[in-house]
Amino acid sequence: MARYTPPSQSRLGQIVDVVVLLAMTIGSLYIPLWLKLAGSDQTANIPENPTWESLGQNPVMVEKWTQLGYADPASAAELITSRFDYSFSVGSLLAMIVVIVGYYTIMLRFSEKEYREVITEKFNGD
Amino acid sequence: MDIWNIMEYAAWALAAIFGLIIVADWLRTDSTYSEDVLMSSREGELEAMTEEHKI
Amino acid sequence: MTDFDITSGEADGMGPRGAKVGLLRVLGPAHVWALGVGIVLVGEYMGWNFAVGKGGAYAALIACWFAGLLYSCVAMIDSEVTSTVAAAGGQYTQAKHIVGPLMAFNVGLYLVFAYTMLEAANAITVGFLIDTVAVMSGHDGLDQRPFIVLAIMFLAWLNYRGVLATLTFSLVITAIAFSAIIILFLATSPIFGGDVLRHKELITDLPYGWLGILAAMHFGLWYYLGIEGTTQAAEEVRSPARALPFGTLAGIMTLLIAATLTWYVCVGLMPWEYLGQAGVPLFDAARLSGSTFLMILLGIGTLFATLASANGCINDASRAWFAMGRDHYLPSWFGAVHPVYRTPYRSIIFLVPIALIFALGAPLDQVITFSILSGLLEYTFMPINVILFRKKWPLDTIKRGYEHPFHPLPAIVLLCLCGIAFFAVFLGYGTQLVAMIVFYVIVSLWFHFWRYRFVRRAEQFTMPWPRPQGY
Repeated sequence: MARYTPPSQSRLGQIVDVVVLLAMTIGSLYIPLWLKLAGSDQTANIPENPTWESLGQNPVMVEKWTQLGYADPASAAELITSRFDYSFSVGSLLAMIVVIVGYYTIMLRFSEKEYREVITEKFNGD
Repeated sequence: MDIWNIMEYAAWALAAIFGLIIVADWLRTDSTYSEDVLMSSREGELEAMTEEHKI
Repeated sequence: MTDFDITSGEADGMGPRGAKVGLLRVLGPAHVWALGVGIVLVGEYMGWNFAVGKGGAYAALIACWFAGLLYSCVAMIDSEVTSTVAAAGGQYTQAKHIVGPLMAFNVGLYLVFAYTMLEAANAITVGFLIDTVAVMSGHDGLDQRPFIVLAIMFLAWLNYRGVLATLTFSLVITAIAFSAIIILFLATSPIFGGDVLRHKELITDLPYGWLGILAAMHFGLWYYLGIEGTTQAAEEVRSPARALPFGTLAGIMTLLIAATLTWYVCVGLMPWEYLGQAGVPLFDAARLSGSTFLMILLGIGTLFATLASANGCINDASRAWFAMGRDHYLPSWFGAVHPVYRTPYRSIIFLVPIALIFALGAPLDQVITFSILSGLLEYTFMPINVILFRKKWPLDTIKRGYEHPFHPLPAIVLLCLCGIAFFAVFLGYGTQLVAMIVFYVIVSLWFHFWRYRFVRRAEQFTMPWPRPQGY
């Protein structure tokens, strides 16, 4: 079987390839940030005129909050009452599963094709 | 201007010095040695010499 | 085996295929341990506690142990494969030999991503810690940027100058940071310290129920993320077949101990609502213990842990990038080795500005999530990798430095835990997950249809193995 000889890449081509890769990388990090889709929201449910009791804190907890620099209940109220929203739709869960499984399937198929070529050239050659 | 301001400037200066040392050595190395030497590292050199996978 | 002395200073790294300079083989098992634990230990000092915020104190402990199981599987599988595939690039080189080029390209990118993001997160934490100290000494409004930049530049310089000094530095500061956790535990435990821990009063029920435990897995990974980086040192270790399994497995045991102790002390000192969003939880714990000595010790521990981690990350990311350059997966320019310092210097230089972009421009939890996601994709690859490895080269066909027990059980357990972790990430950061995978799909197509034409086919398979079965 004939050996595959790769073309040599010019310096400009190398730079272009790096720039393309970088642009994709930075894009994938910052696009969700710009679109404000990133992160999970926390909602705080602060009672009016919060007291340590209404926030459900026992004396030991109060002592620790004070040591941490939260002297009055109002300053700690937002931290204590904020909660994540874990609700999700089955549709988006299924979409995620399809995306992940699809990604690995495509990748393994392409890899297998390239791998057979490598093995054939490696072990059938000279 | 307290100690922390001075430390900010010191940190900038030190970072710049480390950066300059690296870049200077990089340029010197690239101009001293040929690409053939620099790029001659090959994966699996050691295995090729010391190991034969036969049991 | 020939009589060739692999520790020989003269012939070291050079060989029959015409290499004139290669990476230097100087590391021992302790360096491997320091590389693995050094990268990860920072997870005990910051980041793991977001798991408490996600599901409460007990959820964080359960997540800690499940993640520990996940990583034990990772460490065992990794040890077996890497004791056989001993080359820079670690999992990238494994994937290249076992699964195929495209998978290898993806794995290489996971590695570079995970480590560079982690490095950025560490630098951000250095800035935050110094700011905390400044505020405590009465100085408001410190500019954190010079300290972030300095941390990255100093460690890049250290890495540039040679691997032995780099990892010896890691070994020393990692040992100090680990000792600090042990000392904090002993000093606050009833055996010596008397009565500061208040588990009974501070631990509440699960605030989110069982769903919270699943959600906590997301940051539970942070207790151990990066231990698999030990394999990157393979080409620089004197005796890879022994040192890598030993260093990796000793590392995971160290981390299991450190993680559990950290959880125990922290939840006994802080309300979970505070702990769940704290920037530097162990430092806070030391503050609450009321001892100035402990506070200084844990402050130093935090600083050392972040530096050790960033240091290891630069080491690992540059090795992976270098290995891909050497195979022309990336522009071959990156495949150069410094003739004097024997480090992949161009890769080290190239990754510095990238780390700076992320450290100065992105919020910490985003950076951490990207690091975790890249790690998670990598762990999902590992079971596929080891199953194919055992299938293509059964135990009696090639010599292994370490054989992991109960195959394929660890692979299956690992795959299931990865599924749970994916679900956990989906609960909080579904958009990033999809954005990330879209990125990898696009990059894969780019590689398959464009970049791969520059890669020599047979030459990239460098291990002296027999033909794989079934091909």
